[in-house]
Amino acid sequence: MTWLGVDVGGTFTDLVLFDEEAQDIRILKTPSTPKDQSEGILTGIRRLGFAPEALTRFVHGTTVATNTALERDGAKLAIVTTAGHKDVLVVGKGNRTVMYNIKAPPVRPLVRRSDCYEVRERRRADGSVQTPLNEDDVHAVAERLAADGVEAVAICFLNAYADDSHERRCAEILFERLPGVVVATSAEVLPEYREFERFSTTALNAYVAPRLRRYVGRLRGQLRNAGLRADVSIMTSNGGSLPASRVEALPILSMLSGPAGGVIAASAIGTAAGYPNLITCDMGGTSTDVCLLRGGEYGMTTEGRVGVFPVKIRQIDIHTVGVGGGSIASRAGGVLSVGPRSAGSMPGPAAFGRGGTEPTITDANVVLGRIGTDVPLGGEIQLDLEAARSAVGRLGEDVGLETEAMADGILRIATVQLAMAIKEVSILRGIDPRDFTLLPYGGAGALHAAAIAEELGMRQVLVPPLPGNFSALGLLIADLRRDLVQTRIARTAEVTADDVRARLADLVAAGTEELDQAGFPAERHRFVASLDMRYSGQSFELSVPVALDVAEIGEIEKAFAEVYRARYGGLTAAAVEIVSYRVAAWGLSEKLTLPQVRAEGRSAEAAETGRRPIAFGGAARDVPVLARDRMPVGHTFSGPALVEEDGASTVVPPGWSAALDPVGCLVLSRI
Amino acid sequence: MTIDPITLEVLTQALISAVREMRATVCRTASSVAIYDAKDFSCGLFAPDSQVVAQSEDIGSHVVPMPWTVQVAMEKLGHTLKPGDAILVNDPYTGGTHLNDVTVIYPVFAGDRLIFFPAVRAHWADVGGAVPGSMSGKATEIYQEGIRIPPIKILEEGRHNEAAFELLLANMRLPEERLGDLNASFAACRVAEMRIREICDKYGVDQLLEAVRIDLDRAEARMRACISALPDGEYRYEDYLETYMGGRFEPLLLPLTLKIEGDRMIADFTGASPQVPFPVNSTAAVSSASVFIAVKSIFDPAAPLNQGSFRPIEVIAPPGSIVNVQRPAPAGSHGEIRKRVIATMVGALSQVAPDKVAGDLCRTSFHNLLGGYDPVTGREWVHYEWSAGGNGGFAENDGPDVMAPIDWGDLVTVQSSEVIEMRMPLLVESSRVSQDSGGAGTTRGGCSMERVIRVLAPEARYSLLSDGAVLPAFGVLGGMPGCPVGAWTEREGEMLDFDTPGKIAGHPVERDGAVVIRSAGGGGYGDPTERPAERVAEDVREGYVSSAAAYHLYGVVLDQRGEVDGVATAAQRKRLVGSRHSFRAVPVADGFEAGRVSKRRICRLHPSDAAKLDVEEDDIVEFDTRKAAALRGWVRLDSGISPGTVPLDEAGLAILLASAGEPIEIRRLDARSRPAVGLAVAAE
Repeated sequence: MTWLGVDVGGTFTDLVLFDEEAQDIRILKTPSTPKDQSEGILTGIRRLGFAPEALTRFVHGTTVATNTALERDGAKLAIVTTAGHKDVLVVGKGNRTVMYNIKAPPVRPLVRRSDCYEVRERRRADGSVQTPLNEDDVHAVAERLAADGVEAVAICFLNAYADDSHERRCAEILFERLPGVVVATSAEVLPEYREFERFSTTALNAYVAPRLRRYVGRLRGQLRNAGLRADVSIMTSNGGSLPASRVEALPILSMLSGPAGGVIAASAIGTAAGYPNLITCDMGGTSTDVCLLRGGEYGMTTEGRVGVFPVKIRQIDIHTVGVGGGSIASRAGGVLSVGPRSAGSMPGPAAFGRGGTEPTITDANVVLGRIGTDVPLGGEIQLDLEAARSAVGRLGEDVGLETEAMADGILRIATVQLAMAIKEVSILRGIDPRDFTLLPYGGAGALHAAAIAEELGMRQVLVPPLPGNFSALGLLIADLRRDLVQTRIARTAEVTADDVRARLADLVAAGTEELDQAGFPAERHRFVASLDMRYSGQSFELSVPVALDVAEIGEIEKAFAEVYRARYGGLTAAAVEIVSYRVAAWGLSEKLTLPQVRAEGRSAEAAETGRRPIAFGGAARDVPVLARDRMPVGHTFSGPALVEEDGASTVVPPGWSAALDPVGCLVLSRI
Repeated sequence: MTIDPITLEVLTQALISAVREMRATVCRTASSVAIYDAKDFSCGLFAPDSQVVAQSEDIGSHVVPMPWTVQVAMEKLGHTLKPGDAILVNDPYTGGTHLNDVTVIYPVFAGDRLIFFPAVRAHWADVGGAVPGSMSGKATEIYQEGIRIPPIKILEEGRHNEAAFELLLANMRLPEERLGDLNASFAACRVAEMRIREICDKYGVDQLLEAVRIDLDRAEARMRACISALPDGEYRYEDYLETYMGGRFEPLLLPLTLKIEGDRMIADFTGASPQVPFPVNSTAAVSSASVFIAVKSIFDPAAPLNQGSFRPIEVIAPPGSIVNVQRPAPAGSHGEIRKRVIATMVGALSQVAPDKVAGDLCRTSFHNLLGGYDPVTGREWVHYEWSAGGNGGFAENDGPDVMAPIDWGDLVTVQSSEVIEMRMPLLVESSRVSQDSGGAGTTRGGCSMERVIRVLAPEARYSLLSDGAVLPAFGVLGGMPGCPVGAWTEREGEMLDFDTPGKIAGHPVERDGAVVIRSAGGGGYGDPTERPAERVAEDVREGYVSSAAAYHLYGVVLDQRGEVDGVATAAQRKRLVGSRHSFRAVPVADGFEAGRVSKRRICRLHPSDAAKLDVEEDDIVEFDTRKAAALRGWVRLDSGISPGTVPLDEAGLAILLASAGEPIEIRRLDARSRPAVGLAVAAE
């Protein structure tokens, strides 16, 4: 029985194959094929060369939904909405796109105004009918949509979170009149209040659906042709996985598909290694994702966005900054900066030799010898030291620095920016990062981790096994997870514990159905409840964990007070409101476990494969290069050193030491 | 002292990071919802003589005036400051904005050398005064707006100034909450102090101060380079605040003379209307800050905000005028002066850098209040609405629709209909982009927002404090004005208008009656007959422009399928251009007419010319040469004027970039403001 995790990123497709009986892990990196991601996946599968019939699990992290939204390459979409409210998505929240600029460009909404159709219907905030649904209007719209050849329709009615029967009836009619067209209602995608966020989430969902469905269909076909019969699961933004058929129905759930896998792996492997308090730093080619875990648990948020569009789906609280290996260093108006412009994967850094001429973080690393040029990157890209040197050198000349000093400077500025991203999830939320261990992964994370840790006063860095394929690893650790929500606003004085239990029970019932359908037996079901609550008059809610079998309202008020005090310090005398009810439904799955490190072939002597001049703080030093797969467990190597492995390199600066622990994590400590 | 270019950027980032941390600290620890929820506060970091760091998330109207506050506080208390002291100030007359904005300034020392001031300005929900919330549209003196705090030491060498605490809190509603807000400001300043010390320990005080010096200098150098690129000279513009005195409309003049001398710029508001006993006056700090916001947004949008950019700019705001209010006039509603100052800067700069400016934007803060008592819930309710309008068109693009103007930072301006209906006995019947509200132009002004809000409670009261109800946003280079703000009521299909547009106090609205509120459209940019006809057709297809406006304003004729009829369009455009009325400018000494307080520009026309233009006495017209921003005046019929001519004073000619004898186009200001005329309700 084997399991396969496949994470498709912008530059590389990462595969992790796990043999359950042999407890053996194999990894592979192959260039991504952006036009049709399934091609790269099949190439990877062929190169791994395993017995197709033995594969029982296929879990996939995909950027198809996200890219479709970001590249604005989705369906021909129409919105059907309540009369009087066609401009919700056009106007948004009326805030500025660019500060202090009289030439702020207009926002380009997801749908043109002329593709938003109004029908007569109206509900009040309590769900009661103000105006019944005018079905003639719906039929008239259906005719227009059929004539226009739309591919997807989002039905977005005001106050539909309180009662969605109008939306459902409208969907019925459109479904019948428009065969083959994706039809989604706002209450089905996100039954929460605040129309802009709900409509935006619903519209994005419909916008990306046709392309995602085509992709999943193609992938299934290709896998079948290759003799693979395992069901396909897709990683979702909340850190769980879902059967692909569910993600086809609700593609919006997969917006953070890739980054979520890494956080799940960090949680499992960090905890197993004895480091439950972690800050992850997933540095790739164009951006870096940061997430804070306490006691192995990551936070959740509903404040996500894709590009400028809010996505209110509950997702892992991951903070992203536009700094990655491909970020370009430049000077304008006297100010030297790194990013946010990126060379991406095409042309990529100058060192890639694909026509890039501006210096990037990767080029700085190549110039300083931190990335070796002997072995091609991902088995394919031969790095060009001279191209990197001349790109960095040109900027150095402009600034008045030698090439090496310029390269070092680029890395220092990048370090400050990456440290800022970590401050964002720690210090700015009142959490001291020095109480945490930094866990880097992604192609570039381990190169910069020690420097970032130093900048923040963190004393420990944990480089996990397989850092270059870490997100794919997480795919084979994730449980199934579905988050269910229902908005019902009322003051706590106006609801009873019976009401709360009944509403949570409804959500549990919906979750149970979902888990049953995915084939999870009842003993593998888990449900966790929380309420979104606030003081009356506030506009933002706090997530308050509660028991499913709430005994009295006082319990809930007390739980709210605790969360509120922890966040804001004091309490106020205002009335407390419950805004939304939430249940996370988990289907517990079998998990990949990391094998113990085998002792054979490992020793301090065998580990050192060579020496290379690497500059630290401007001075080049002859530094030992260590092969991670030959490092013995428990031996402490002193910095400066460079640890190399398939898909990643770890810099151990002077003043730091590195040692391999029994689970295969490389622990860097400040001496 | 030298510093390497990398350490310079590292230190710059470190200071920005310290301010971000201040901001997060205020959010986490403040007591009032307005601060931690609505983010109505700003943080900044100052060197003893200037502002070093402010944040882009901060509200420009808060943070940009802060240097004046610090400067005034330093003049008064600087020589006595010791470690552990903190200054508290909100006095508009000594560097403040309005009384609700309370500022804490916290000196940080290295040894006995004063090196930095972290400062927090937060909007306190109440600072005493006549009404809860302190801001009253009816205030005639500052004493009704709350307690004035001139710069005082609220902390002395780490000890609370107990007498001051007691006195202040005794004069405010909800004193515990205010104490919480004050402590949040202290906490934020202490965090900054800690970070500054860490930076000094690592890099040394001298290196840090050197980095600050270079940061300021390079911002200054960028701004000087921008100004140097402009031709020297004096450029002018004028605009008005709208008031009603005893029910009669009285525009208050705000004239600007902008001098460009080499790499310096002087914004001179000499001649501004005297201050008035209404809360529309503003302080020198606010007026100067508004000049800076305009300059920054026009010339140097990309770089982070610091005071270096503003060194080449001087502002002259005559004391006792609406731009530099003196005791005892009120200053509660300073937002309108901010918008007017920005507008005059845009108008003046349109004469010298037309490619850099945009049409006038949003025009007003547009404060709408609809509230009452809900017998179903037994609660009082108030809906506060400040929908943004359209921004001005500019060379590269149409102005954005419904978007917060440049002085509002990241403020959200469109509130969720579902939230409104959940909280209040109201039904938001429609919430739409208002067709034809954006000023026509080669690039169009952004459209505004029109909302119909129906009252479900037995009764409610509606108030509006707004400008831009009479004078809309102006266009540039021949662009047309946007539509003015509008507000009216509707019940059983009957529409009722107000006869003091923009100023409405407590107008009763019965159950099932609706209030319709429409924000201001942005000014157009360039001649509308030069807008590509295809883009006009698209605007019609998308509903931003009506086919009537396409025909009458843009000269675009569309066929039944909505496609451009090229031949008919060319003919209509020729007709439109040919039907413009021009008058020969005749120089006069004084182009103004005095009112009770201020004065307004008038347009003297021979009655036959007035008939040609279809205007009457007291109508508003635009003078235009299509070389810069349009100029406004009020019509006076005068048979003593030679037909075909119009008198213009020196300032008027300068604004239009015209000389005596040149033809000046005059057109009626066609304000689409009222759906129907009916019963009116006056308010002060």
